[in-house]
Amino acid sequence: MTVKVLYFGRLKELSGASEELIELRDGSVIEDLFSRCSADRPELRKFRASLVAARNREFAAWNTPLSAGDEVGFLPPVSGG
Amino acid sequence: MATLHPEDRIEITRSRIPNAEIAAQVRTDADGAVAAFDGCVRNHSHGRTTHYLEYEAYEAMALAKMQEIAAYLHANYPIRRVAMVHRLGRLAIGETSVFIAVSSAHRSAAFDACRYAIDTLKKTVPIWKKEFFADGAVWADGELPPVPVDTPAAKLASN
Repeated sequence: MTVKVLYFGRLKELSGASEELIELRDGSVIEDLFSRCSADRPELRKFRASLVAARNREFAAWNTPLSAGDEVGFLPPVSGG
Repeated sequence: MATLHPEDRIEITRSRIPNAEIAAQVRTDADGAVAAFDGCVRNHSHGRTTHYLEYEAYEAMALAKMQEIAAYLHANYPIRRVAMVHRLGRLAIGETSVFIAVSSAHRSAAFDACRYAIDTLKKTVPIWKKEFFADGAVWADGELPPVPVDTPAAKLASN
């Protein structure tokens, strides 16, 4: 299945992309997706503990199952206002 | 779930925020109070002189989260209307980055709801600011939004 990944803030700079399409095995969860995205980006992996994930624009746990066409955002600590 | 009032104004914009217009817009003849919060760009941060800020957002989600906050205010405070506008892009010192206004028959609900709105926006709405100084730039320290914990149901579904 294919899912869309979005990067923001510091993460966008580290990953060198604001979005990308990732092909995953069926049954994958958000954690699997992050492992794929950070596999060849060690600087991204370092930020895992200070990120939250969103699935289809809702905050989601790392073990949330993914479906084809999902939009997953990796979000650094927010600083609006 | 509670809903918005049709006259509520929840927006993300790249233009200057019209503070006075927004504050006037939430007021009706039935209101005795309008409480407003004007979040503006400060000229210093952690002892360094700030030149300007840049804001970016996960826009679709940020707007949805701002609407959720407004709906929460209607469900939990005796208020009339809510306006919540956040600006993105490059902002100069002194410019408004976020403006919130809440109207109510009485001041205490307006104050309380306005305070809840800005506190919750800063913790849960996916917007980020980068601070630019004479000698470099940093992403502002932020808050990690609360996220659903890994539940047994989610684990089961993932197997």
